[in-house]
Amino acid sequence: MDEDYDDYEYSEDESVVSISSSANSHQGHARTRATAAAAAAASQATSASQSQAVAQTQSQGQYSADFGYDEDEDEDFFGDDNDFDRAMGARPTKKAWAVDFKVYDPDGLRVTQKDTIDRMVPVLAVSRDTTTLLLRCYLWREEPLVEDFIADPERTLAKSGLSVHPAASRIESGNDEFTCEICYTSGAEEEYLSLSCSHSFCTDCYATYASGKIREGESWRIRCPAPKCKTLLGEESARLLLAKHKNVLERYEDNLTRSFVNDLDSFTWCPAPNCQYAIECLVPRSAMTTVIPTVNCKCGKAFCFGCKVDDHMPAPCYLVEKWQQKCKDDSETANWLKANTKECTKCKSTIEKNGGCNHMTCRECQYHFCWVCMGPWDEHGQQFYACNRFNEDSSKNARDSVSKSRAMLERYLHYYTRYNNHEQSVKLARQLLATTEKNMEQMQREMTLSWIEVQFLSDAVDVLSVCRTTLKWSYVLAFYMSADNQKIIFENNQSDLEMATEQLNELVENPIGQWSIEEIKRKIIDKSTYVKSRWETLLSDTSLGLQEGRWQFEC
Amino acid sequence: MSMVSKRILKEVDRLRQDPVPGIVAEPIEDNIRYFSVRMNGPNDSPYADGCFTLELYLPDEYPMLPPKVRFLTKMYHPNIDKLGRICLDILKDKWSPALQIRTVLLSIQALLSAPNPDDPLANDVAEQWKTDEKKAIETAVKWTALYAERVVRNDVAKRE
Repeated sequence: MDEDYDDYEYSEDESVVSISSSANSHQGHARTRATAAAAAAASQATSASQSQAVAQTQSQGQYSADFGYDEDEDEDFFGDDNDFDRAMGARPTKKAWAVDFKVYDPDGLRVTQKDTIDRMVPVLAVSRDTTTLLLRCYLWREEPLVEDFIADPERTLAKSGLSVHPAASRIESGNDEFTCEICYTSGAEEEYLSLSCSHSFCTDCYATYASGKIREGESWRIRCPAPKCKTLLGEESARLLLAKHKNVLERYEDNLTRSFVNDLDSFTWCPAPNCQYAIECLVPRSAMTTVIPTVNCKCGKAFCFGCKVDDHMPAPCYLVEKWQQKCKDDSETANWLKANTKECTKCKSTIEKNGGCNHMTCRECQYHFCWVCMGPWDEHGQQFYACNRFNEDSSKNARDSVSKSRAMLERYLHYYTRYNNHEQSVKLARQLLATTEKNMEQMQREMTLSWIEVQFLSDAVDVLSVCRTTLKWSYVLAFYMSADNQKIIFENNQSDLEMATEQLNELVENPIGQWSIEEIKRKIIDKSTYVKSRWETLLSDTSLGLQEGRWQFEC
Repeated sequence: MSMVSKRILKEVDRLRQDPVPGIVAEPIEDNIRYFSVRMNGPNDSPYADGCFTLELYLPDEYPMLPPKVRFLTKMYHPNIDKLGRICLDILKDKWSPALQIRTVLLSIQALLSAPNPDDPLANDVAEQWKTDEKKAIETAVKWTALYAERVVRNDVAKRE
């Protein structure tokens, strides 16, 4: 499968999957109980070496590496997968749908900022504080900053509320003339601070002012408190001012990091609640009609970098947005209409029958028809309440015309039902995980298996929920796709994955039954592997198809 | 707190000793943070003949937060709504702790001379101001006569 995609542009990056090749990757498949202990030991070794490999792939933005589980749980996947590739003579390449991204923790973000500043200080040859402010004002775009600065340093500084000769920010005192314009205290003993604009205020007022702004979420955009003054409060001055206010200073540093991520298009926060990681991804917005930048945070959340919605491969962002809008507007109403109404065959008014006989008179166009066969009423003669004319031509035609206008609705509901079904199933998978854990315990007790030997069950549940998510969105893609041969190929892929997923689901739901544990384990592992390969096929194929413009979308 | 009170006391002091022409601002007896304000309409405006009352309140965080000011007299002005609330940048995001009651009141007086219908608070008034300025100004003059106290001015032209 992978050879086909060697010419794909992302495959340039070939350093990606360097996963342990330790033997035993098919460990689960044909192991007898006698070898179980040895295999378990080996799999632990595999696990250790693979979690390193996984860590590496993760930093390179390899989607499958973080399939949504903890690192050392996906050993079967990677072992199998890799050996399979190797056996097929394929080089390990990056998956077609994977995008490059990097996960940063708050310290990492601080280091990144610091590195950029360190790099720019010698280029601009101004103080570190000024460089930092300039970078922030230019939203960290180094090139335009350097260009502007070289062309006209004075203007560039002024534009950012800085001056060419910034007075060293330090706290002074001993000036008899000094009066703080905020609290009106004066005298030589007052400590005060002034920025390059030389508006001076006493340090207490300045600190209160800055703290207030920081509590509102401000960081580098805090300006001198003088009315209309645009001079920015640099980081050094802020740290000097707030030296005594530890909490505020911490908040200030947090705000700085926050604004760094918010100011850069290539960074975003992980949307998971309480997650403190940020993700960097260089896929430009313009490419997001054909590339779905799914990224995996270290916290386990898989989401789209472009629209922050949970992982929605294989549907691109704009279709997802359209779909969600449509569902919000339509789905409930459409369902109700389908269940409770028919359309007048003549004027297409939507009619709800709320009682009475089958002889209907349309209130809009006064057309008489039979509710049962939808044909004209006059052909029914005296056979009230007993329509047996279903196959007569006229009623057939009438039904045809109704069905045409209903086809759109039906079509939407077809996709919506399946979309919704998978969505519900993803939720159920969470419950399934709980029963699975119970099953795993039972297996450990009754069959004296080790913990590691029953992990295949929870792995399978993980595969299930990932595949169901993909299936769910694949129906959105299919809904907007114009009908042609390419769509049929897509739908074949989709139905293969769907069928395999359902089979795996059945196996996982009731694992302890007529088969022996070895058989069950083999079946589930085999099926998971197969499902995963179908999943990969679908994703590779759609991501390539989107890039090639293989499908037409009607929206 | 004492520092802030000191500022307020000093401001009150200065307002008494060096009052702003056409504006009287005095704290009411038992609350140093609550001011009763009377403001003459600026000469070159439809409000020229009126004397308007306002209330001004200094929140606890003053001067880090702006004072709260509103007109008590009914106003026909695109930036003042029917509750007397005022749309003025320095009372919102452009507030600076170095501004004072005095500067705030002067800005409000300036707003009466220069209504800004492009940044409206009272949408219907702003609409009128933009489509038919003459009629809008007439209405403002009429409202001033109806609702505001008459100004007793010292200049000769007004007395005649």
